[in-house]
Amino acid sequence: MAPLSVYRGAELQQVLKLLQDHQGKVCIIAGGTDIILKLREKKLEPEVLLDISGINELKGISEYSKQLADTGLDGLKRITEQTMIKIGAGVTFSEIAKSPFFSQNLKGLADAALSVGSPQIRNAATIGGNICNASPAADIIPVLLALEAEAIVRSREKEETMSLQGFILDKGSVKLLPNQLLCSIAFSSLKENQSLGFAKLGLRKALAISRIAVAAFVEVGDNAFKNVRLASGACGKIPKREYEVEACLEGKAINDGSIEAAAELFKQVLKERLRGRSGAEYKGEAVKGVFKEALRKALGYQNI
Amino acid sequence: MKKRGIGIGCGFYGTGYGNGFPDVSRARAKLETDGKIGIYVGATEVGQGAKTVLQQIAAEAMGVSIEDIKFYCESTENTPDAGTAAASRQTYNTGNAIKKACEALKEGLIYIAIDKLLLNSAVGIRVENKKVYLESYPQSAISFEDIAKALTEPLCFEESFTAGTTKMEEESGQGAPYWPYTFSVYGVEVEVDTQTGFVEVLKAVCAQDVGRAINPQLLEGQIDGGFSMALGYALMEDLRLTNGEIRNNRFSSYIIPTALDMPEVKKIIVEDPEVTGPYGAKGVGEPVMVAAAPAILNAIYNAVGVRMREIPVTPDRLLEALMEKE
Repeated sequence: MAPLSVYRGAELQQVLKLLQDHQGKVCIIAGGTDIILKLREKKLEPEVLLDISGINELKGISEYSKQLADTGLDGLKRITEQTMIKIGAGVTFSEIAKSPFFSQNLKGLADAALSVGSPQIRNAATIGGNICNASPAADIIPVLLALEAEAIVRSREKEETMSLQGFILDKGSVKLLPNQLLCSIAFSSLKENQSLGFAKLGLRKALAISRIAVAAFVEVGDNAFKNVRLASGACGKIPKREYEVEACLEGKAINDGSIEAAAELFKQVLKERLRGRSGAEYKGEAVKGVFKEALRKALGYQNI
Repeated sequence: MKKRGIGIGCGFYGTGYGNGFPDVSRARAKLETDGKIGIYVGATEVGQGAKTVLQQIAAEAMGVSIEDIKFYCESTENTPDAGTAAASRQTYNTGNAIKKACEALKEGLIYIAIDKLLLNSAVGIRVENKKVYLESYPQSAISFEDIAKALTEPLCFEESFTAGTTKMEEESGQGAPYWPYTFSVYGVEVEVDTQTGFVEVLKAVCAQDVGRAINPQLLEGQIDGGFSMALGYALMEDLRLTNGEIRNNRFSSYIIPTALDMPEVKKIIVEDPEVTGPYGAKGVGEPVMVAAAPAILNAIYNAVGVRMREIPVTPDRLLEALMEKE
């Protein structure tokens, strides 16, 4: 094996050039909480280690305005302004957990960040790293899927935006070319009648890998679920949207009956998906409780 | 739904090697050249507080402050064998050996003082504050330091203590296989999530018989530590042995409690001096763990009406049992 070269990037352009120059031989390190273990166990033996933890362009959480072309009911196209929230790929879980952006309606995002590891891990680990590691149990991915987040990736030449769902290909695999870097995550900010909840079942209260995680985005109107987006973690090869369960809730009045019916469906969906795998029986039953907690939290953040 | 329940567990535990096995601790007490007391003992400090407690026993026996004890432990080169730091035996067994060695050293100091102070007998002589003096005429006194200076050869005594147990008769099961016994009771309150099977311990209280509390703060530490071990053993720690192979062989899968899983544990230290113990003390290292898991399992039963007969009571196992009950 060639001796390991380590670069610590100071600016984004410099890092993108290094990526370009050493294509296919580079392993990116940010917080290092996953990579260091893989290096130690020799599951990864890169020739070049590229440290991006000092790059300011990958830091920070901000709002910006995006123009959306929309076709109205009258068939006329119009441009609407949508406020977006952007999280740099190098933002740590501690920073997300503390951010004033993620209170009230969006508190589910802070809850998910706070459920990761321990304070030491949260101080080091980054949102970009959690996404690119693409673990089935990655805690931040379900909430971002429920928000229909976008991944913004860059190479030396250009910037590209794609849906996060499309970005995560498989367990441990993301849609990044060898010369590309995940730079940020963006999603629409929430309206007053929208909110996000997150619940996780681990084997203890801290330092617990998710056994089941559920993120629930809800839009409420006339005491009914106007729009629901659900995503699960650790319930398959990658965190995924739960479309069947969403459909079961949409348009229904908010009451114990509708929630219980959706929970029952979630159980069936999961038992079918995990059939033959260890823990299928347990996860199928337990997902009901985790789902209801995520939904209850989401509704609670709107005082419903 | 979350359901709460309370449970109580009681236990008693025989400390020491037991069953007639010679449970021997040796210790040496020596007058050092500066008049301080050297204690040489093979006892091992593993975080339980042996170094502190054994120095306290020596200081008490010699009538000096703890700063006047020079404590040497663990090295086999210059300390006599005090047995293992196991079986909750160091405070009781080695504590007794140190106390005996100190008493022998004290007697040695008295005989030297009789000679130096031109006294007739040991009657009325006291050893206190690093000096030996005649109680009825305190002016007649000699300090440890002056005795040390006058010595031509070291003043050092080695003593041993062997716990009194008998082998159990195989036929009848009779005998006194352990001595002393330590008693404890735990009470806990749990909250069970009936949808996920997750158990949270909300509160715990421990009443622990200690004989005599030589160091109450260390005892409380032992109780916290014992409870956290029991919490893991009752609810989390699962080796998953498969054909003799440990499947959960790393701390990411072999789950032990963290500080966030620990409830506040209220401690009640029960002092009932043990006549054969050093100043009445008994060991508590293992006893503090014994009754906690039964209390947790009883509380689970009280909360949800399910009798769990296998530990750890992981969420999977409890949820399965809850569904069978329905």
